[in-house]
Amino acid sequence: MNLSQEDLLAMYRYMVVAREMDRAICKATGKWHPTSGEEGAIVGMYYRLREEDVIAPHYRGSIIGYYMRGASLHKILAGILGKETGYNRGRIISKCGPPEFNAVGWLHSNVGPQIYLGTGAALASKVMGKNYVTLVSFGDGTSNRGEFHESINMAAVLNLPVVYVCQNNQYAISMAACRGLGCHTVADRAAGYGIPGMEVDGNDVLAVHQAVRGAMERAREGNGPTLIDARTFRVGGHWIADPEVYRTREEAEEWKKRDPILLFEKKLMERGDLTEGDRERIRLAAEEEVSLALKQAEADPLPGEELLGADDIFAPSPAGR
Amino acid sequence: MRRITYQEALVEAIREEMSRDKRVFILGQDVGMFGGFQQSTKGLWEEFGAAGRVVDTPISETAMVGSCIGAAMMGARPIVEVMAGAFLPNAASPIANDAANVWYYTVGKAKAPMVIRTKYGWGPYQDSSQNWEAWFVHVPGLKVVMPSTPYDAKGLMKAAIRDDNPVLFFEHMYLYHGVRGEVPEEDYTVPIGVAEVKRPGKDVTVVAAALMMHRTLNVAKELSKEGVEVEIVDPRTLAPLDEETILDSLKKTGRLVVVHEGWKTGSVSGEISARIAEDGFQYLRAPIVRVGAPHMPFPFAVPFQKAFVPHEPRIKEAVRKVLAY
Repeated sequence: MNLSQEDLLAMYRYMVVAREMDRAICKATGKWHPTSGEEGAIVGMYYRLREEDVIAPHYRGSIIGYYMRGASLHKILAGILGKETGYNRGRIISKCGPPEFNAVGWLHSNVGPQIYLGTGAALASKVMGKNYVTLVSFGDGTSNRGEFHESINMAAVLNLPVVYVCQNNQYAISMAACRGLGCHTVADRAAGYGIPGMEVDGNDVLAVHQAVRGAMERAREGNGPTLIDARTFRVGGHWIADPEVYRTREEAEEWKKRDPILLFEKKLMERGDLTEGDRERIRLAAEEEVSLALKQAEADPLPGEELLGADDIFAPSPAGR
Repeated sequence: MRRITYQEALVEAIREEMSRDKRVFILGQDVGMFGGFQQSTKGLWEEFGAAGRVVDTPISETAMVGSCIGAAMMGARPIVEVMAGAFLPNAASPIANDAANVWYYTVGKAKAPMVIRTKYGWGPYQDSSQNWEAWFVHVPGLKVVMPSTPYDAKGLMKAAIRDDNPVLFFEHMYLYHGVRGEVPEEDYTVPIGVAEVKRPGKDVTVVAAALMMHRTLNVAKELSKEGVEVEIVDPRTLAPLDEETILDSLKKTGRLVVVHEGWKTGSVSGEISARIAEDGFQYLRAPIVRVGAPHMPFPFAVPFQKAFVPHEPRIKEAVRKVLAY
């Protein structure tokens, strides 16, 4: 893995922007599933994918993936506010991936479909003789669903170019992963499909990046899927108003000490790749970028009823009506 | 013209489309060397297997259908075979929640051109023959077809494969090897969303698809001897429904019977009846009568099945009822 100082600072910036986006959205909407504390896993997996590679993201962090692939922050935020200027023009929230950035998935609020959609994108890569790899991500709770099992088993037997990353924040709303999984880690499940399973520190952005890139190249070379369990922590509630009566405050406080942004900052400073000045400059720039985009999105119009699109449910087709 | 079976017509359509378009592939359980349940993919493995375009899968309906949606979004044109209608509910979420929504939610930037084929209805595999089509007719963004003849089966399959939307293709188990018909050798399609008058008549309109169309034909022949001329409208596509052709027939006859193999509650026959009552009340000279399966689980023993699946005496009785009104 060759990451230049420029790469490291870019990753750091994405993490800071992600945190800032999350804060701004929570404030602006009052209903959001915060990603705070999970930026190490998210930025680590999406950083420097190949342009042709496909992502099928976990809803929590999906917009960071789209942003990192080049989507406009303004349009993402407009979509979250249901404005007509969003990528989906008010038809669905921005968690639905803009296809122009090679994103598939999130067409409804079920938590597992991106696993079969991403597996299918990989299937198309193989059947049509393409060279792209698909990155699928999901939470620990989703690994209990049928589509997780069916899709990964199928990808294993068909040897598809796909990498599965569990953004394991250790909670499925109130259900702790240790109570919801019969095995110890999500990576343990890989053995059941005969594919490699890896555990990685999800709060170490570089470790996640290295694991995911290695697995992506392994898949590209025709060696099939890998399941990566990136253990992180949901320091906030499942959604903003979550009373969190099901866990202790101390648990989150302990994990906040291992905040992925703080850990990365420390590492970069020790290596001399980041100065106090850089840190301040990046933080201020992120705040400004997010606040400008949000202001613009808030000023945008809501779609009028004439844009409902009730007659736009089918692609025009040559045959038939 | 040559006469081939419903099954032969379907396989021929798929073979021709796979030859014509390299993006088309077929995936499902036992579709490979085995040749498909009821020979639904016979010969395709031999022709396209080496190119990786006939994909055998584990028993995983959710992932089979779901992955084909992802493949379609990336530019492939998959055909996924769900072996039997009874297994279709396992893939209900990918079909209704994902496939149906791709075009609308992405504002036309992505699409899901795919065919989901399944074998359903009364026939040789009694415990696999549930009729779940009404669930999918309910969903905006899906096309649902249900052919009755080999000609329609081939033409609709070709149209479905060429369609840029998800098409749910209901293939009737009994008709598979149970009906032969004229099928031209040259390329043709039957448009999706267009019904056909299978038998002209002036006294009563009967709407009937698939096996029910054949049973209604038998009834029409018998009633003709008594001087009653039944007009049979075969919808061929259940969604989007060709209401116009049914209304045109009703304008002539003034009387409507809707025969459908499935249950009546929340059903295809209910939907057709409601739409005609809304838009064609002025043409009705008698209340609409429906014929369907009794509201109970699909039974096993032969006499039970005979009583369960709508058959000629019940169709005839319904026709007499609307005539007597």
